[in-house]
Amino acid sequence: MRQTPFVEMTGIDKAFDGNKVLQNVHLTVNKGEVHALMGENGAGKSTLIKIMCGVHSRDAGEVKVNNEPIVFKTPKEAEERGINIIHQELNIIPELTVTQNMFLGKELTYGKTGILNKQAMRKATKKSLLELGVDSIHPDELAGNLSVGQQQMIEIARALATKSELIVMDEPTAALTDREIESLFEVINSLRDRGVSIIYVSHRMEEIFAICDRITVLRDGLYVGTEVIKETTFDDIVRMMVGRELGERFPTRHAEIGDVVLSVENLALAGVFKDVSFHVRAGEILGVAGLMGAGRTEVVETIFGYRKKEQGEVKLHGKSIEINHPVDAVQHGIAFITEDRKDKGLLIDASIRDNVALTNLSTISKSGVVIRSKEKSLVDDLVKRLHVRMAHVHQPVKSLSGGNQQKVVIAKWLGIQPQVLILDEPTRGVDIGAKKEIYSIMNELSENGVAIVMISSELPEVLGISDRIMVLHEGKVMRKLQREEADQEKIMLAATGRYHDEK
Amino acid sequence: MKRIITSFLALTLLIVLGACSLDKPGSDSDDEATDDNATTEEASELKVGFSISTLNNPFFVDLRNGAEDAAEAEDIDIVVADAQDDASKQINDIEDLLQQNIDVLIVNPTEGESVVAGIEAANNADIPVITVDRSAASGEIVTHIASDNVRGGEMAAEHIEEILGADGGKLIELEGISGAASAIERGEGFHNIIDDLTEFDIVASQTANFDRTEGLSVTENILQGNKDVQAIFAHNDEMALGAVEALESQGMLDDVIVVGFDATDDALVAVEDDRMEATIAQQPDLISEAAIQAAIDIYNGEDLEDFIPVDLELIK
Amino acid sequence: MRNKLSENIAKIGPLIGLVFIVILLAFLSDSFLTVDNILNLLRQISINALIAFGMTFVILTAGIDLSVGSLLALGSALTAGMLSSGMDPILAIFLGLIIGLVLGALNGLIITKGKVAPFIATLATMTIFRGATLVYTDGKPVTGLSDSVLFQMMGKGYFFFIPVPVIIMLVVFLVLYFILHNTVFGRRVYAVGGNEEAATLSGVKSDRIKILVYSLTGMLAVLAGIILTSRLNSAQPTAGTMYELDAIAAVVIGGTSLMGGRGRITGTLIGALIIGVISNGLNLLNVSSFYQQIVKGAVILFAVMLDRSRD
Repeated sequence: MRQTPFVEMTGIDKAFDGNKVLQNVHLTVNKGEVHALMGENGAGKSTLIKIMCGVHSRDAGEVKVNNEPIVFKTPKEAEERGINIIHQELNIIPELTVTQNMFLGKELTYGKTGILNKQAMRKATKKSLLELGVDSIHPDELAGNLSVGQQQMIEIARALATKSELIVMDEPTAALTDREIESLFEVINSLRDRGVSIIYVSHRMEEIFAICDRITVLRDGLYVGTEVIKETTFDDIVRMMVGRELGERFPTRHAEIGDVVLSVENLALAGVFKDVSFHVRAGEILGVAGLMGAGRTEVVETIFGYRKKEQGEVKLHGKSIEINHPVDAVQHGIAFITEDRKDKGLLIDASIRDNVALTNLSTISKSGVVIRSKEKSLVDDLVKRLHVRMAHVHQPVKSLSGGNQQKVVIAKWLGIQPQVLILDEPTRGVDIGAKKEIYSIMNELSENGVAIVMISSELPEVLGISDRIMVLHEGKVMRKLQREEADQEKIMLAATGRYHDEK
Repeated sequence: MKRIITSFLALTLLIVLGACSLDKPGSDSDDEATDDNATTEEASELKVGFSISTLNNPFFVDLRNGAEDAAEAEDIDIVVADAQDDASKQINDIEDLLQQNIDVLIVNPTEGESVVAGIEAANNADIPVITVDRSAASGEIVTHIASDNVRGGEMAAEHIEEILGADGGKLIELEGISGAASAIERGEGFHNIIDDLTEFDIVASQTANFDRTEGLSVTENILQGNKDVQAIFAHNDEMALGAVEALESQGMLDDVIVVGFDATDDALVAVEDDRMEATIAQQPDLISEAAIQAAIDIYNGEDLEDFIPVDLELIK
Repeated sequence: MRNKLSENIAKIGPLIGLVFIVILLAFLSDSFLTVDNILNLLRQISINALIAFGMTFVILTAGIDLSVGSLLALGSALTAGMLSSGMDPILAIFLGLIIGLVLGALNGLIITKGKVAPFIATLATMTIFRGATLVYTDGKPVTGLSDSVLFQMMGKGYFFFIPVPVIIMLVVFLVLYFILHNTVFGRRVYAVGGNEEAATLSGVKSDRIKILVYSLTGMLAVLAGIILTSRLNSAQPTAGTMYELDAIAAVVIGGTSLMGGRGRITGTLIGALIIGVISNGLNLLNVSSFYQQIVKGAVILFAVMLDRSRD
């Protein structure tokens, strides 16, 4: 049964405006298989998926479903043949109940009257959720009150309700807590046992090794190869993706650690966190670990003046400073690279230049008038220093890949020459090549004496680049570790609240 | 050096100030041309511009239709622009009309003061101006043609007095757009009669802006506090018809008489059905007919009176 | 390359539209393309253009200001009141502009500190300002204004052969163009509209930018009101009714996105010209005002759909 192909795509070509995005790409997904699809951003993964689901047409090649050549003109047609996609940004309407979301667009009615059969829909919802082993979600609950993981379960249930035979999951774990990832994996395993195929798109190598059967790798729109997971290694796949040896994942740290730059004492925010105290020294990288909802982002947003603190003190070089608005933080040389590039980090429609200039307007202007020549040299220097891959600085940032967008965010903050740099999930949604570049930038900055605070959910990253690690759990600091003494297990114990440093 | 700069600056300032003026450039050079026109062209080549305040009200539609019909009958050209009750749009309209080589301008002002800029523009271009229905506060006007609104207000009051008799009663007055000449004059006529009659009492005078919907809501509101009203006088039929609706929904239509103004088609039907007591018929088609006639007279170089009143008629 | 080309077409799209309409009208009407009529036309659009310039800033911050028409009426009534009471015209005009600034700032404060959506906040102040105007004027036009040459010049004067309102409009345009494209403030306006959260997190005081933008718009509305008052030699209590919609239309036709962060003030000037040219041209062609409204609406729709099609 494992060997029967469900979808076969062969020799797929696709070009947009003469720009070849896919060339002679193959993908075969067997029945009851979890198939990973990997590649750096811009490698053509999404285009391939969209062709499979009928969003885009193909220029050449063949798609067979159950050994029958087929052309999907709309996503609806693909859905009718059992192919569903669960996007990274969930299609859940928070104002509607679980049941209403489940049946959105295909509501059950009494005959053709148009009157909703709410009873039947509620029952069916309950049944499909139970099939997934989820009994904690009430059908009448508002979807907005659920966690991201639970919302994802609704999407999966919705896909299964339409007799889905293949589910494409695009970065399904990006917003999940570790516990939620675990239950997602349980669901994926049970789906596999029922003969449902899954295409798993992710940047997280650990997960792919944990759950997938085979992997197909794309690079620059070309097919690189398909491997059986059990017969391959981490390094093999990285090599396939980047087409060269990457060398060490993390740079060697040489930074000299100096005096305390930023210290935070007993910081608290009502209902979110309390008694948070820590410090970071010049040249030091402090990793902040914890599960979703531990309050990590809120802590740094409070330090930065984006949220109003309840109590506590922030000191810079031992002197207490008052930060009531991000403006104050910037003036003190604190930079904050936010977790969410699109929502909080960038003016997504604006140009690279405008984005980079925004934090630096005071240095490139005189009496409120922007001096174009200063602006140009500042922006050009920064994008060059960070190797932002682009056509020109007037290009809108939304046309850049995730990694390059992140580099623009970093560029705009390097312009203020920060003494403290806070990064919140700096490598999320960033491909492996760009990840490495971001680590080098952090390393280089710390060597220049910048104090760095980095929040990350990826433990290998936290362990790989931090000098010290602080673990938060439900708004409290659970443990502080030196890099030498830290390991994944110690961090997880603290992050799940099972270990607490007694002070 | 300094002195040179100073005198240069002074000179510049002089030129700049000299360049400023309130007169339209070249405005006083084309008298001749107009005189020529008057003597050489036939009446059939006469082109009249008509700036009308609004077409959102049947009275003004009748006014326009009358003008167009009269123009057709006399075989002259007419261009109409609708200001949509916007004082500044009317000025723009007049300017646009002046661009089109009209010989006579007929203006139905949205409001007397604001239209002056337009009248002056026409004066500058040496185009004779006739105002209809509402008059202008200043500017050179050859003649003003309108219903005798004061007399109309008096006619309405006299009729109410006649119906209610010597016992008198409580009255409501629905006023037109504040400041509009017709509203002022009709109200004046109405008060001329009623204020001298002690047994009559105007319990409320409020504006409903010549609008039927406002007439309805304003009347409803007034009726809340004055259930014993016997008559309503509205400065136009639209408001009167609004008042009729208000009375009807309160079940008071049989107890209260309504007198309107303008004799629009709707109002005439209402009078026929006894829903309205009476309306003072302005005769918009007669007004515009008179205006077209006046335009022809001006074109032929005849002298006209400053004010040409057009008869009113009580329709009951 | 192709992207850049289509971007540029989008940039000059409104201009192409304007040129097309002008050529069309020049063929249809002899009186259209005369110096006299062009000056006349420019003067006609100056009021709407001034309001629309302010509206451009507001819309760039992803806001909207429905109160401009009422504010125009209130500002002109108050200024006219001061003038008719014999106040020095320079002082009266100055105070009038300050009133516009303050009432605009009030809009901004309600929106930022009161956390009311701009549409609702300015819908409310639109009604309040109109009511205040009627209370102040008692519903009657304010007349008997100053004979001061300065005041008379504002609406009716000529500089060389160009009407003063046109001069004022062009000067304001140049100043605002400079502010929007060459100053820190201008950049921040775009940033706040593009992504308010990101702007705040980048050290922009978004609330302050918004308050300033609404203040600017309020002041420009009153400036337009004073010009109108001078032209009409009276302040009309009903002046400016629905002007907010014409201003929004000019901004939208000019290619500024109602979502904020994207647009140009040059586009707004062209948008105001398009609206002005259409109504002037249709007047010259003796098209009934009823049809004119249909044409105007159709042009707005067409412009917006053209704008959408490039996304």
